[in-house]
Amino acid sequence: MWEWWQRNRPLLLGAVLLLMALLWYSVNLRQQDETSFLERMVLGLTGPVQAGLDQLVSGAADVWGHYLYLIDTEKENRTLIENNRKLTATLAENNEVRLENERLRRLLDFKETQELATLPARVVAEDATSWFRTITIDKGSEQGVVEGMPVVVAEGVVGRVVRSSTHFARVLLITDASSAVASLLQDNRARGISRGKGERLVFDFVLRQEEVEVGDRVVTSGMGGVFPKGLTIGDVKSVDRREFGLFQAIEVIPAVDFSHLEEVLVLLRRPQ
Amino acid sequence: MNRTLIYFALAGMAAVLQTVFFPLLLQGDFKPDLILLLVVYLGLHEDQWRGGLIVYLIGWFFDGVGGTFPGLNGFVLLAIFLAVRGIVTRVNTESSILLLLLVMAGTILQSFLVAFALDFFRQDISVLSQIAWQLPIQLLMNFVAAVVFLRLAVWLQRTFLPRRDLPGLRKLDRRYES
Repeated sequence: MWEWWQRNRPLLLGAVLLLMALLWYSVNLRQQDETSFLERMVLGLTGPVQAGLDQLVSGAADVWGHYLYLIDTEKENRTLIENNRKLTATLAENNEVRLENERLRRLLDFKETQELATLPARVVAEDATSWFRTITIDKGSEQGVVEGMPVVVAEGVVGRVVRSSTHFARVLLITDASSAVASLLQDNRARGISRGKGERLVFDFVLRQEEVEVGDRVVTSGMGGVFPKGLTIGDVKSVDRREFGLFQAIEVIPAVDFSHLEEVLVLLRRPQ
Repeated sequence: MNRTLIYFALAGMAAVLQTVFFPLLLQGDFKPDLILLLVVYLGLHEDQWRGGLIVYLIGWFFDGVGGTFPGLNGFVLLAIFLAVRGIVTRVNTESSILLLLLVMAGTILQSFLVAFALDFFRQDISVLSQIAWQLPIQLLMNFVAAVVFLRLAVWLQRTFLPRRDLPGLRKLDRRYES
């Protein structure tokens, strides 16, 4: 028995260690919504280094980029002027829609009249692994950023705050596999859940009888208690109305280009 | 103690490189996993208890900058470390090719364990298909990073610390291979 123990000791102790690690991970899944002391410490330690290095590397890249793209500037300028004209026309149209919307809101005695306070933040780092999709921003609990707050850019939803330290916070992107956002199709109001799948999203639980077209816009439904209603998530890329089953398989391309995120807005709204 | 501090410093450097430098350089979601390289190295040159504890702590540190599941990186990295320890007495560790092969095998094991830990313990998450699709690119990235960093480490040791026998690096030097 003693000999057997001596021979197999490394293997058994290794198995016990591994089991304990797995058990600890499993226990921690229950407290996943809170930032632990250790995570806050790591975020506090790595955040300033990441922010400093990000500024340094971005600065060097900017200098190189300016030099490299100088040739294209004139052409780009012309395109921008043209785009500006189009956008001004769209803005005038949107103003009409906004006024109409305000009238309708008043008419329906819409309760949510208060504008949400926002906090601009800079993206200082990305996730350390290739399997997950998170970013680190340079605003934390001292600036009022807490877990669960939505993060957006002009194009649409970015994600929600999952960890927060004094001066830095980590944001789970909507493209991460553990992200799920209550959503609806802007045109026909069909409801579903947008789940992250790496670079794209899938729009789950949309009934087969719903009419969904490629290019349809997917927006937040406001049902999950995290994101306000009407924020853009993305556009439908493909629709597979299966022969069997209750739901369709819908693929969505996110409206936000996550590979070029530099500044974001944190909506200072606590999850309901 | 000094060696332990060096390992933690290397882990810190790897974390900063992976979170800031590589995303700017590679402009995509994929980045080489230098922590994995460090864990494989520790598996070859540290004993089970000391190395296991260091790796688990590195995993906890890594949870603060990668993923959103506390304990996941600790479990995955510890499993890789123990797997390397399990075979270390049965193979010729004095070969840099072996180390490269272990990094590749470690990448496959890592992706399998991440998928297992998420798909099995969290019913609402399914990452297996995503990870399977990403695996070939990740393998390539880790392989290239391992080749570059190993050659760089040997060169640095030969240039700046020629008289010091840093654990493992001497074995990786091509001149000492049979």
